[in-house]
Amino acid sequence: MKQSYNNLRSLKRMLSVILLLFLTGCWSSHEIEELGLTVGLALDEGKESTTEKELKEQGGEYNQTEKITVTYQFVNPKGTGSESKGGGSQQKPYLNISETGDSIHQMTREFSLRGSRPMFSPHLKVIVISEDLVRKYSLEQLLDQFLRDNEIRPSCLVVISKGRAIETLESNESGEIPAFRLIGISDNEDRTTRILPPMSLAKLEGKMQSGSSFLLQNVISTNGEVKFSGAAVITGKTKQLLGFLNEEELDGLTWITGKGKGGLVKNFDQETNQPFIYEVKSMKSKITPHINGNNISFDVKIESEGRLSENWVVSGENSGKNFLKRAEKAAEEEVNRLVNNVGGKMQKDYQVDVAGFGNRLRIEHPKVWEKVKEDWDQTFSEVPIEYNVKLTIIDYGASSFKK
Amino acid sequence: MILSPKDRITTPQAAVVVINFILGSGILTLPRVSVEKVKTPDVWITVILGGLIAMMAGVIIVKLSQQFPEKTFYQYSGEIVGKWVGGLLSLLIVCYLLITSGFQVRSMVEVTGFYLLEGTPIWASTMPFIWIGLYLIIGGINPIARLFEIILPITVILFLLVAFMSFGIFEMDNLRPVLGLGVIPVLKGIKTTALAYTGFEIMLFLPAFMKHPNKAVKAVLVGISIPLIFYVITVIMVIGALSVDGVVTRTWPSLDLIRSFEIHGLIFERFESLLLVIWIMQIFSSFTISYYVAALGLAQLFKKNIQPFMFGLLPVIYFISMIPKNINDLFKLGDMVGYIAMYLFGLLPLLLLIVSRWKVGKHEAKL
Repeated sequence: MKQSYNNLRSLKRMLSVILLLFLTGCWSSHEIEELGLTVGLALDEGKESTTEKELKEQGGEYNQTEKITVTYQFVNPKGTGSESKGGGSQQKPYLNISETGDSIHQMTREFSLRGSRPMFSPHLKVIVISEDLVRKYSLEQLLDQFLRDNEIRPSCLVVISKGRAIETLESNESGEIPAFRLIGISDNEDRTTRILPPMSLAKLEGKMQSGSSFLLQNVISTNGEVKFSGAAVITGKTKQLLGFLNEEELDGLTWITGKGKGGLVKNFDQETNQPFIYEVKSMKSKITPHINGNNISFDVKIESEGRLSENWVVSGENSGKNFLKRAEKAAEEEVNRLVNNVGGKMQKDYQVDVAGFGNRLRIEHPKVWEKVKEDWDQTFSEVPIEYNVKLTIIDYGASSFKK
Repeated sequence: MILSPKDRITTPQAAVVVINFILGSGILTLPRVSVEKVKTPDVWITVILGGLIAMMAGVIIVKLSQQFPEKTFYQYSGEIVGKWVGGLLSLLIVCYLLITSGFQVRSMVEVTGFYLLEGTPIWASTMPFIWIGLYLIIGGINPIARLFEIILPITVILFLLVAFMSFGIFEMDNLRPVLGLGVIPVLKGIKTTALAYTGFEIMLFLPAFMKHPNKAVKAVLVGISIPLIFYVITVIMVIGALSVDGVVTRTWPSLDLIRSFEIHGLIFERFESLLLVIWIMQIFSSFTISYYVAALGLAQLFKKNIQPFMFGLLPVIYFISMIPKNINDLFKLGDMVGYIAMYLFGLLPLLLLIVSRWKVGKHEAKL
């Protein structure tokens, strides 16, 4: 009796040990060292690399038209490893691999034929799309795969590049991963008014669906260096590239939207023609739509507080309070020039609304908006807009302005 | 009878069971399905109105149950409309519960298969899930309620934490204007949002297990208002971040909200697995409670021991969860469950309540 009880117990024990084996998690686990971790991605107009050409000569081709070149940026574990050892290895910490074809997903899978490490994209940080591609295809087509994908997160940023996108993913500085550099630059939003608020895939999808025109950050590159330079204008109807706003125009646009987190206004003193700098501490704008019968008009009230942070006007000329007033006036004029400049560009040259005028109309007069939203860009181009800029210098830093 | 005296639950426990039953897979898709109907940023108003309607239906259900103390719907329905009709209604509810629990299982599998355990075969994530559920319900209502009491606070804390972390990508403009196009769009979505609260029908059965059944109204009101708060927060955060136009394109918008931001400097940068983990627990509780009540129904109908039914229903639920061939089928099944629930728990209890009151009145008149 006791014997059989013991037997039963040991049987139960054995069973539970065996069952334990089946309880282990991670059915489809991958070792991190064996993964090809992708951090950046560039989309360019189709242009085969020499490797690809040579592979093709060997017979490595499949049915495709060469529309697009996809470049994935992998983190190179060897490159980052050698740095910590301090050895003089020539390995870069990143690895760009390109593939040409017509379907983004298929090209992505082509990499599985060329490398042993499976691609792993949940850490993809940035997608750079070249100008030519967005002129030809709609953003919806280009980004469809990423929006459906379960690996790439919607937090991934999207930027446009004037020139080849692949070049923005190159860097000469050792130890630097270009994709991270791009993300780092977009974090500098509080330093300048020439960076757009980051546009992630998640935000982009809403923008594309809404049918209104919008801006994407533009990046230019040369010899492994990059610069955020202005913005790409994407039309709401086609989701294609219409043109660019240069840096000064983007500056003005930031003033209209009031979404800047910091930056400078440089202007010249009228009497002495010497520059002084107004540093933005806070920026606010209010776009108010007015409806008068069938006529829509807007007034934009821009307010900002800031600091006199640099002054080249020689002493003696700046006589106390009067000078502050004069400086404020001059800075206001400069901002006025900036906003009128970009306003003209939007309304006359491009005939699109990328500053959110339509959005304000939607919020304050939803019924009117329902009527005009179909042809909003067209309507917008003829709408009168009045800008009203008020800047206040609230301090002058650690140095007294009286010299 | 089948109820042992030990198997009693307190009023807070009853509320917790209601909350856990309501908070199932619905929250993962609610922002999309409601925006599809409403099409304006006023969805949050619709969610609140839907909740109020659910509360009314919940109170009616409780009032009905309170007419028959210590009895579940399976036992008292016969007394109102006769043995055969009552039995038929009970069987209908059992079917509904089985489909619900199968639906919950499959939703869990779809979401985890896409975001968390890619490559794991469906059966491999389903089976442990169902088995553990079986293990839980064998203990009866008391262990179920006690487990739910552990799950709920974890859900609340982690959910609020994760939801408010998305504040960085929140844009007030996406939620404005309020009532810009009038109330008509708001009303269009009410059916959808009211159905998000299905789960309160558990009060057809729960008062029989309650220590103080007279407090059942309180339990159902609390039980619906907490999911209401959850839903409103979710809808506001999701629409605020992804905008009305963006929400409709995402299959699982609530999860995409969490996938749309990263926070540097904390232990984690990404939080979707956190949300998924708590949501799997919620889906688990919805699944177990409907599984248990379905088994209870069969046991009480046929006046047999409950355990064989529990084991017997296991494969049934598995097969139901395997019926949808793809995600569209799954959402269709969800819609169907909703429609059945609307009639079964929106209309039927009211009719039964009227009939039973009328019968009682007649009975008293005779005396």
